[in-house]
Amino acid sequence: MNSQSQSQSQSQRRKNFKIEAFKHKVELDPKYAERTWKVLEHAIHEIYNNNASRLSFEELYRSAYNMVLHKYGDKLYSGLVATMTAHLNKIAKSVESAQGGLFLEKLNHKWADHNKALQMIRDILMYMDRSYVPTSHKTPVHELGLNLWRDHIIHSPNIQARLQDTLLDLVQRERTGDVINRGLMRNITKMLMDLGSSVYQDDFEKPFLDVSASFYSGESQQFIECCDCGSYLKKAERRLNEEMERVSHYLDAKTEVKITSAVEREMIANHMQRLVHMDNSGLVNMLIDDKYDDLSRMYSLFKRVPEGLSTIRDVMTSYLRERGRVLVTDTERLKDPVEFVQCLLNEKDKHDKIISTAFNNDKTFQNALNSSFEYFINLNNRSPEFISLYLDDKLRKGLKGASEEEVEVVLDKVMMLFRYLQEKDVFEKYYKQHLAKRLLSGKTVSDDAERSMIVKLKTECGYQFTSKLEGMFTDMKTSEDTMLDFYAKQSAELGDGPTLAVQILTTGSWPTQLTAACNLPPEILTVCEKFRTYYLGTHSGRRLTWQTNMGTADIKATFGKGHKHELNVSTYQMCVLMLFNSADGLTYREIEQATEIPALDLKRCLQSLACVKGKNVLRKEPMSKDISEEDVFYFNDKFTSKFVKVKIGTVVAQKESEPEKQETRQRVEEDRKPQIEAAIVRIMKSRRVLDHNSIVAEVTKQLQSRFLPNPVVIKKRIESLIEREFLERDKADRKLYRYLA
Amino acid sequence: MASRDRVRFNVGGQLFETTSTTLANAGRESMLGALLDESWNPGQPEYFIDRNPACFSTLLDLLRTGALHIPSNVPEKLLYREALYYGLLDHVRGAKWGPFDGNTLRLADSVPGRAPGDGTAIRGAPDGGCCVAHGSVVHVYNWMLEERRPISLDYQQVNDVGYIDANSIVITARERLGKGDGGMAVFSAATGELRHRFRVEHGRQPKSFTAGALSLAGLDDHRIFSSCKGRLNEYGIGVWDHNTGQQVDFFYEHPGCSLGDADKLQWLPSKNCLMVATLFPRTDNCFIGLLDLRDKSIPWCWSDAGITMNLEDKRVLHAIAMEDGHSICVINQYDDLGFIDLRAGNTNSAGTGVRWSSRSKLMNQKVPYEESCYPKLATHNGQLFSCMNDSISVFSGSEHVLTSTLRRSYGGSICDFSIGGDRLFALHNEENVFDVWDSPPCPII
Repeated sequence: MNSQSQSQSQSQRRKNFKIEAFKHKVELDPKYAERTWKVLEHAIHEIYNNNASRLSFEELYRSAYNMVLHKYGDKLYSGLVATMTAHLNKIAKSVESAQGGLFLEKLNHKWADHNKALQMIRDILMYMDRSYVPTSHKTPVHELGLNLWRDHIIHSPNIQARLQDTLLDLVQRERTGDVINRGLMRNITKMLMDLGSSVYQDDFEKPFLDVSASFYSGESQQFIECCDCGSYLKKAERRLNEEMERVSHYLDAKTEVKITSAVEREMIANHMQRLVHMDNSGLVNMLIDDKYDDLSRMYSLFKRVPEGLSTIRDVMTSYLRERGRVLVTDTERLKDPVEFVQCLLNEKDKHDKIISTAFNNDKTFQNALNSSFEYFINLNNRSPEFISLYLDDKLRKGLKGASEEEVEVVLDKVMMLFRYLQEKDVFEKYYKQHLAKRLLSGKTVSDDAERSMIVKLKTECGYQFTSKLEGMFTDMKTSEDTMLDFYAKQSAELGDGPTLAVQILTTGSWPTQLTAACNLPPEILTVCEKFRTYYLGTHSGRRLTWQTNMGTADIKATFGKGHKHELNVSTYQMCVLMLFNSADGLTYREIEQATEIPALDLKRCLQSLACVKGKNVLRKEPMSKDISEEDVFYFNDKFTSKFVKVKIGTVVAQKESEPEKQETRQRVEEDRKPQIEAAIVRIMKSRRVLDHNSIVAEVTKQLQSRFLPNPVVIKKRIESLIEREFLERDKADRKLYRYLA
Repeated sequence: MASRDRVRFNVGGQLFETTSTTLANAGRESMLGALLDESWNPGQPEYFIDRNPACFSTLLDLLRTGALHIPSNVPEKLLYREALYYGLLDHVRGAKWGPFDGNTLRLADSVPGRAPGDGTAIRGAPDGGCCVAHGSVVHVYNWMLEERRPISLDYQQVNDVGYIDANSIVITARERLGKGDGGMAVFSAATGELRHRFRVEHGRQPKSFTAGALSLAGLDDHRIFSSCKGRLNEYGIGVWDHNTGQQVDFFYEHPGCSLGDADKLQWLPSKNCLMVATLFPRTDNCFIGLLDLRDKSIPWCWSDAGITMNLEDKRVLHAIAMEDGHSICVINQYDDLGFIDLRAGNTNSAGTGVRWSSRSKLMNQKVPYEESCYPKLATHNGQLFSCMNDSISVFSGSEHVLTSTLRRSYGGSICDFSIGGDRLFALHNEENVFDVWDSPPCPII
């Protein structure tokens, strides 16, 4: 056929031979385009009708190529649009007619068909896509196919609303527990996404979010009326997880943020205050009952919404402050300092654990906890004393047998409380007193623990804070060496008199004590004098004063029936007991006269000798708990004990009594004065001129690591410095101070 | 199994046998890929294709080996046309030249122009095409070096051109007094159509302007920068988003640093700054500065103002920021390269800070030619390129050693050159000829 027609046209041309004018373009048979298009149109129909197997790809491709090559691209393109539109309208009818639940199935099925057809049509028209489409600003075939599907199927008036309702209804059914065909849902949402993110958003996502928000608004209202806080949070968490799971199964990943934020808003943000403050199950109850799971859930849920964590934090802070305030002002608790501090430590441990297990170790929560402790610990001005007493207790006996690590843990915890203290200098005062007592009585559990504590204080507060404390340790060591030397040199002279152990304390390093020397028994006095001669002989220019109130003595006593006991007593007690070597009964006044022990100490010492069961080496008349000045004391001949060594402790005042407290306070205040003055001078020296408020602020800043200076005191110190001509007031502006070099 | 893989073609009467594995190299988005796709009745004993067998043979060989060998009897343009039919044009382009290396460049082509005036600029497209600005018209060539429709912006003097992508060319043009024309616009490289005209607003008022040097931020950053001169002293750097076409920022000129007249803009992603260079002879005093657009500051700048200059003194004629972002390379009229350290803080002190190399002695050219063009600089993959007179020098390595020189016998001195799409394009001053240099594909062994 082909060769025949060719020869025909050749013969025709030969007949009408003429020279034609040169044409730029060879005109094609105008019917050729129409014919070629018919072939292609037919192919498109066949593709949509699943009859593609009879088509020749090569022929169709070449046809489309030829149409484009011969400038029939417009015809090809508009023909494609028209043909495809016609098919899609047919598809729309068929989808519309689908009954009830088959609607989505049908749509999905047709969508798959359309995609397959589109792919094949694009194959045929590939050349058009590559050359005609870009130069004529048309939409590429694939995109065109999607756009037409969107306009004629998805946005068809009979489909659009029905599709949306069907999808939303399925989601709603799944939320209420039904099982739905997730694969079908995924295909349909994927179709919407393929049609462009705006189609997905407008036709599904927006209404989905609206419906979800109102659903959760209603549900949360219902939950909050009938659930306690813990189970409400559980429900909210479950709903949140469900929505995330839904997104992962059949929605666009970008929807996750939107739907979760809707759930968060409706279920959490809108009910936050009510949840936190819920009666009997709110945040405070969870804290009290250590409900780690509930707290952790609340944390992770609230973290998702704005202001969520700060809501938790605020409630926790005010609860902690109130609880702490009650704790530190509870007069019952104040009776036992060790118990008091232990209570604080327990409180700290409890909430540390809550923050670490339930609140993800959140820094802001830790800060809130710290600031709460700082707030209430300083509400009680005895806190520094009590903390030192707690340490004293631990270092005396509490840590006996504890491993090094355990000791460190306890000390670190106490240091934590120490950090909260504003009046660190007050703590230092007490710590020094308590340390001195421990060292002198040899009661300290472990030297290592003591030194470790000093190191901690040093790292916390610097060298000057601990220099005196360290001096005390040095004194102890030197004393030991001195005593060895004394006995080595003087043993011949001393004979078998009482053994003396002297601790030489540097004045200033140790807490200053009123040196109310008592009258020592003559036997002791002789040895003491010998030591004094020895010591002053080896160290010139020193002065020795006996601190009899701080010593101890071991004495041997024989009671009735020849019972022998070794008594471990204080120096004061020894002085008293020695009197009974020469007398059986003595009145209080006689004892006081003979020993000259200060009344308060004497009463305490007599009390411990006569009134403690099992240790009553003296007998008192009348028998009573308290010592009065009319009492008479007798050597208790009937004293027995199953121990050979009997330790007679002094009834030590654990806490300071009110007057002592006043005294300590006064001493602290006195010590602060030079520190405040030094700070003022330092500041003024560098600033030269400064107004009152700035000085107060700067001084407070400089000193706050040790204590919080009172502005009134600062003002007084400034006035004193003006009097002493370190500073002067500015002539013009009375608020300004000048530094006088 | 082996026979199943085999595919027979009858192309224009000539038989070919190949395998579907070989044809898979064509990709699904090609005619051959679609032909063998399972949606089209595959497994036929023989496929007929009504096309030129010689070209098919060449293209099949390309699919088999990845290398392009055009027999002498096949005209190149014919092969391109056939490749377009099969959808294999990108394969051909990819096999025509290899990865760019300044030291292996060969002259691929010389394309004569017909423009009346001096060339202004030449720019390489990302796909290996190029465009040449001559006076008020930009001639556009695809990678096959076929000329497309020339483009112009109201037939105004073109100041700079650039490719946003292979199909979008942005040009900047001068504004004619009182006409409100010129400015800056994007054109389609394929059709030459005007796509979008960029506007400048000052105080919410749209104003006409003269756009000068161009720079694109590149990659995911859609910003495009141009130096701008408005009528009412609205001098500075305009910033647009080429995705939206909207103006996003304007950096008004600070006193003492000339921005609206800049010769060269370059975005430095590592510093988040725009380098602006305004150089001799446009100004008497060279200014190079880095602009921080976020806070409208100039964190670094350099100037040679204040040094008494006579004509023999070394003057900075072109500048380019090095790819490492640590220094700016400059060039003078003696073809000396110099470096200014960007890390040395603000070296505002007049004219100091340039470390000149002494290459001028090496080149032994004390006085430049009478008919010379100003030298230009470019960088690519760690190599530095400079043009001076009729040759381009290639410097390699961290010490910038001179490693190659590219020179053509005719065309006169080079007025501009550009690297793009793994090709180097050099525009000559006389006869408007431009040369295309590229690296050969990797050798067989």
